[in-house]
Amino acid sequence: MAFGVLALVGTRKGLFLLRGDDDRRDWRVEGPLLDGWGVYHATVDPRDGRFYAAANHVVYGPTVQRSADGGKTWERSKKIGLPAWSGLTVNAVWHIEPGLPQQPGTLYLGADPGVLFRSDDAGETWEPDRGILEHPARDRWFPGAGGLCCDSIQLDPGDPQRMYVCIASAGTLRSDDGGQTWLPVNKNVAADYLPDPYPEIGQCVHKLLLHPARPERLWQQNHFGVYRSDNRGDSWERLDGNGLPTSFGYPIMIDPKDPDKAFVIPERSPEYHYSPNGRLAVYRTRDGGRTWDEMSDGLPRQAWAAVLREASASDADSLYFGTQSGSFFGLADGDIWVEAARHLPPVLSVEVTQWSR
Amino acid sequence: MVQIVVPSFLAAQADGRRRFEVQAETVGEALRALPVADLLFNERGEWSRYLNVFVDGRDAREQGGPACPLAGAHEVLIIAMLAGG
Repeated sequence: MAFGVLALVGTRKGLFLLRGDDDRRDWRVEGPLLDGWGVYHATVDPRDGRFYAAANHVVYGPTVQRSADGGKTWERSKKIGLPAWSGLTVNAVWHIEPGLPQQPGTLYLGADPGVLFRSDDAGETWEPDRGILEHPARDRWFPGAGGLCCDSIQLDPGDPQRMYVCIASAGTLRSDDGGQTWLPVNKNVAADYLPDPYPEIGQCVHKLLLHPARPERLWQQNHFGVYRSDNRGDSWERLDGNGLPTSFGYPIMIDPKDPDKAFVIPERSPEYHYSPNGRLAVYRTRDGGRTWDEMSDGLPRQAWAAVLREASASDADSLYFGTQSGSFFGLADGDIWVEAARHLPPVLSVEVTQWSR
Repeated sequence: MVQIVVPSFLAAQADGRRRFEVQAETVGEALRALPVADLLFNERGEWSRYLNVFVDGRDAREQGGPACPLAGAHEVLIIAMLAGG
């Protein structure tokens, strides 16, 4: 049996499935599924193969769509809401994270306004995490241009009680007790738009990833810099001073085989969300962020691209990302980027899994 | 009984059905009987501001919104915001 790559590409107008051969040079595009929905994030639950999509519509609001048959048919979760006493309503759903293997049926959902939900019935119903909803510092959180989005959820594979969420702009929060209480972990992370540029809380994390083979190691692309933590977020080291053209960007990728590798896609600045100098490139570090080198073979010679925070993914073999101008790229052997699709609607999210044929 | 007509986007979320017959006294009650009710209201029971509902051709918002009475009505038409650009 041959294997290939299946990419779930969420766009502003639906979900596309891109199937790549095992060498990631030939791709087939299927879709749109969930036609007309803004798919902020779609993922495959590695425990049972179900698809989940955080779907939003300007008229019909936010929902979670679920498929048990590879995207042929979909079912919505029951209404996702916040209790009346909170005074809050759900504005958008942003990210779905399947639970650990020992937590069958459990999933997490990040949403605007800075809230986390948990499901214990495979996404049929969702309950808000009270520790986040009633967090004592909530009055110091403020939304970015994308809202008060909760877009990164990372689970520690070695400790089911430990998890991380990022809220823009609250920063990174860590729970060591299964989500009952949340500790801000933003030491040395800049928030240059605030009077105190290194506050306890208020940072704008664009994407945070935990390395599965070394769970105490976290990487983040922030509004102000690229950072690594080797102590579960207790402190952070800024890494963008050596080889990166800018410190700004949204996504970050890691190599699941090598904790010292990470990949970012810089943009010009917070005011100009496109490739610096008209040159789209991925930058790679192989030494924990001390140095970075450019990976642009196969990418357009001129491009003013923007890649959103959820619009990249990695697996053991490769890297993948999509642009707001509707292109999807995968990295083939020899570090050559292959444009697998173009003229898609603006790409909001990318996740990958294996498929057999 | 009143007939409710939904736009194609909502029909796609209801196994392709565009027309529903329901027994209801108000517009709100009728819409809550639909299999896509979760897409019409937020968790406070408020309509999306981009959602228009007409009862026999008259804007339900001008007749009490969800409380708009349906006595003698034949058709409730749901129309999503029209947008261009």
